[in-house]
Amino acid sequence: MHSDQEQKLREKIGRMLADGLQTQTEPFPENDTQFGQLLTQLRDIDAKDLKAKLVLSGFTNSPYGEDRMRCQECMYYLVHRKWCDLPELALPVEPDWWCRLWRI
Amino acid sequence: MANLLWLQGGACSGNTMSFLNAEEPSACDLVTDFGINILWHPSLGVELGDNLQKLLRDCVSGAIALDIFVFEGTVVNAPNGTGEWNRFAGRPMKQWVKELSAAAGYTVAIGDCATWGGIPATAPNPSDSQGLQFLKRAQGGFLGAGYKSKAGLPVINVPGCPAHPDWISQIVVAVATGRGGDLALDDLQRPKTFFQSFTQTGCTRNMHFAYKVSATEFGQRKGCLFYDLGCRGPMTHSPCNRILWNRQSSKTRAGMPCMGCTEPEFPFFDLAPGTVFKTQTVMGVPKDLPKGVDKKGYIALTGAAKNAAPKWAEEDLFVV
Ligand code: SF4
Ligand code: SF4
Ligand code: SF4
Repeated sequence: MHSDQEQKLREKIGRMLADGLQTQTEPFPENDTQFGQLLTQLRDIDAKDLKAKLVLSGFTNSPYGEDRMRCQECMYYLVHRKWCDLPELALPVEPDWWCRLWRI
Repeated sequence: MANLLWLQGGACSGNTMSFLNAEEPSACDLVTDFGINILWHPSLGVELGDNLQKLLRDCVSGAIALDIFVFEGTVVNAPNGTGEWNRFAGRPMKQWVKELSAAAGYTVAIGDCATWGGIPATAPNPSDSQGLQFLKRAQGGFLGAGYKSKAGLPVINVPGCPAHPDWISQIVVAVATGRGGDLALDDLQRPKTFFQSFTQTGCTRNMHFAYKVSATEFGQRKGCLFYDLGCRGPMTHSPCNRILWNRQSSKTRAGMPCMGCTEPEFPFFDLAPGTVFKTQTVMGVPKDLPKGVDKKGYIALTGAAKNAAPKWAEEDLFVV
């Protein structure tokens, strides 16, 4: 994906979240088994179904929880590309967004 | 001339295979250049039957000087402490091990099975296996915590699943050439020369570790394997990235996580499904952090490293 395409998609996701898309932010996967189950569910989603991906992974457009978790510190976040490198997501993101696959 | 005897208990022969692949020095160099007389070895020994039993009895009695006793594999105690599940040369292997260790100048445990029990001693440990002087991290094992060979050293532990060929042959040479007393051992009786540093020392992915860029698939050239794929490099004592495998590479260089095979807890988490090649996390934070780093420090470090990460850290460095 070219960076302008990535930017368009980033803006599109931003609009969906700003328009109030309700996503499943809870439960947070407490351990690796639960994390793995979430990944399996994500893999079952049609790769083109962006909305379903965002809903299941619990996307928010602001830092989340008491610890203010956000993409910026997440292990899968590529800072310069502003990209979520988790293969099951592989989406352009903003540093202040978050999803429940966050890990540090 | 130093006499060496190598026996094998509950094992897969991996350390024998490794030893036969040694290059610096090779198994042949041990004989031709370092004056080691291999009395018997499972893949090299020529004696069979009565002749082998006589040789072993002579080692026990002192008629043949047993300078170095190398043991590979676990000491099998099943069933009911008899050791009958692992018979060798007419009797349970554990009886030979007891008597030969008492007669040996140096006793060397090669591989995880002989050092800490390794995979056979993983719960539920059906063969009632022990390492020579440890069972997992607990000191004692088959020979007991107080065991010392005639040279006054405890069992020299060279762990690994298998141990690297050169760790084996270099330790054998050190002992055979009278430098055994110079070997500094760590708390787990491993030679510090090999086991003081970490698997991570010399790993080509260190830059990605520092900048917190994760490899998410095996063999991926970019990224560090700690964050997602369960690499134990920062917590494992081994020289795998200093003394390369096949003189070429290492697991982590090739994009395969270190499984921590030189530590007594290997295989970690008793191989429970989902624990292999996957970083175990609690609320998104790795359960096992790099040695000496606490959770607060780790989180602070990650935030700072992510903020400081240069662009190149996200790109493939090793372009063909
Ligand atoms: S996994 Fe979630 S929190 Fe982490 S970078 Fe991707 S979208 Fe952001
Ligand atoms: S791949 Fe493993 S050994 Fe290499 S830097 Fe990462 S954690 Fe350390
Ligand atoms: S990289 Fe790790 S698992 Fe592999 S041989 Fe070295 S210590 Fe063992």
